[in-house]
Amino acid sequence: MTDPLAACRDVTRRFGDHLAVDRVSLAVQPGEIVGLLGANGAGKTTLLRMLLGLLPVTAGEVRLFGEPPSRTTRRRIGYVPQGLGLYDDLTPLENLRFSQAVFRSPLGALPADLARETLPVGRLPLGTQRRVAFAQALAHRPDLLILDEPTSGVGPLVRARLWDVLRDASDGGAGVLVTTHYMEEAEECDRLVIMADGRVVAEGKLSDILRGERVAVVDAPDWPGALTALEEKGMTPALVGRTLRVVGSSPAEVEQALAGRECTVREAPATLEERFVQIASVGVSGAS
Amino acid sequence: MWAMVVKEFRQLRRDKRTLAMMIVLPVMLLVIFGYAASFDVSKISALVIGPQAASYAKQLHSPFDPVRAVPGESVAQAKKDLQSGTVSIVFVADEHSIRALIDGADLFTARAAEAAIGRAASPRALLAQLLAAMPPGHVLLVPTASLPPKVQVLYNPGLKTDVVMVPGLAGVILVFIGTLIASLGVVRERQAGTLEQLAVMPLSPWDVLIGKIAPYFIVAALDLFIVLICGMLLFGVPMHGSVPLLMAGALLFLFVTLSIGVLISSVSQNQGQAIQLAMMTILPQILLSGLIFPLGSMAAGVRWIAYILPLTYFVEISRAVMLRGAPFADLLAPFGFLAALGAVSVTLATLRFRRLLSPSPLRARRAGARSLS
Repeated sequence: MTDPLAACRDVTRRFGDHLAVDRVSLAVQPGEIVGLLGANGAGKTTLLRMLLGLLPVTAGEVRLFGEPPSRTTRRRIGYVPQGLGLYDDLTPLENLRFSQAVFRSPLGALPADLARETLPVGRLPLGTQRRVAFAQALAHRPDLLILDEPTSGVGPLVRARLWDVLRDASDGGAGVLVTTHYMEEAEECDRLVIMADGRVVAEGKLSDILRGERVAVVDAPDWPGALTALEEKGMTPALVGRTLRVVGSSPAEVEQALAGRECTVREAPATLEERFVQIASVGVSGAS
Repeated sequence: MWAMVVKEFRQLRRDKRTLAMMIVLPVMLLVIFGYAASFDVSKISALVIGPQAASYAKQLHSPFDPVRAVPGESVAQAKKDLQSGTVSIVFVADEHSIRALIDGADLFTARAAEAAIGRAASPRALLAQLLAAMPPGHVLLVPTASLPPKVQVLYNPGLKTDVVMVPGLAGVILVFIGTLIASLGVVRERQAGTLEQLAVMPLSPWDVLIGKIAPYFIVAALDLFIVLICGMLLFGVPMHGSVPLLMAGALLFLFVTLSIGVLISSVSQNQGQAIQLAMMTILPQILLSGLIFPLGSMAAGVRWIAYILPLTYFVEISRAVMLRGAPFADLLAPFGFLAALGAVSVTLATLRFRRLLSPSPLRARRAGARSLS
């Protein structure tokens, strides 16, 4: 079996007393999109920075293309940081030219509308900026794409277009490691790694993560009262429209908690977001 | 490396304010400093009091101007005039003696007044007066050995301050422009988040360092050329030595200055810190480089600080080449020290860039080895 494009084994990172990443292991194979999920502060960005060689590990091992991060491995990586890493005072084409000159790759295709753009990147809408960052990261045809919340702050249409770009890259054999907190994006990934408090709390395909998990769905005319009653019983109901969805409790338990109230309780498959909340709230003890 | 240089040039071209500052400010500073930074006192306001005031006032010449004779004014009142600053010197012309009261708080004017009085009262001046007063046909025998030597000032015959200051001022301007602007280069990348992007690109620390320095080096070299031409045209600063030798010294000095600027930038977390650090290196250079105060008159401990400042050597080189026409053989020491400072600053900057741009692989590998063992 070939080496994974990116791998980390038992990687730990401390900042003083704070344990940011705790014995995390993951791997990204060619043609695979791996989604790294977690709340803010879960350790996703720290993990990416260690993978890229931007941050030394406190313990553990990081490998890119079978070797430690180095200038050689950088040639094969495309990176989109949270802040995009574009020069605000240069046009999209000038940004791309700089990147291609550094990577010594032929001038790749920039979407026509971006290539014609004469305004500096800093004066373009965020969605356009993100498209430029994607084009720049892909221009040298990297074997591994690492993206840190790449679609944050853009509308659904631009997000869909960016994901088309990622899917094309992975179809072409590139491995993709992407952090996100958008559940609809996570569903686009081939495999998910969920982090909480610096640790991996769940990992696998979407179906593995959901593993037939179901939620109790409550329809009640007096939904505020039902919500209060469920919370008083220590349950974690979520309000969707005027429907309450309760993760981690069976319909029988919910019916019992709402005894005497006018309501109907049924069961439905859990969404990824619900499963994520469940895993993250259970934390390390709930790791699969 | 070339990609970095082109990128930096593009950014500099778009940053009109910085570009204007780099081109216009040096000339402006030269004109302002050149005219303001002068220790020459051309006019000293004088008051003459006492019974012989009117006749003595007529004997006073430049630099005593204007000269006001008030025979009836008392010494006490004249001191009040000195105290209020309306005059810089008071001559008390009694029947048989003249004495002068000088405002010592105004140091340069006081020294100029003292020197002018000394010149007027020198044996040679008195002898000239005596010879002029002698009737024709009379001979005066004076042993020449008893007279003080006849002075001939070389390289700056008029002892003009601006002639001495302008070559050094070119260095001060380059320190300002070079250190300040270069010190913001990496900090801007850090604050914009592009430093991280550079760190994951296959760029060596050297690529980034040279890329950062090169555009400023070219613009500052142009500045230097403009400043020196303006200095020669506006202030009549001579160029007795070799222009290529001066340019070699200036470019070496510029390289050191920019390296220090980039080093400052690489250790600063934000632009405020970078400017503070830059000022901490600029001010000692202006005060201790020998540009204003002679190195020889400094306390030994302070003089050693001056010897690690690049401007000290540029001032020495520029004055020696421009004013004295010194050849390279006479300037081996300042060139050598400047080269050594350049080597130190560029090595430190490179090490710092290495840390910034490739911080972890080695330590990651060590940590990896520990975890595997």
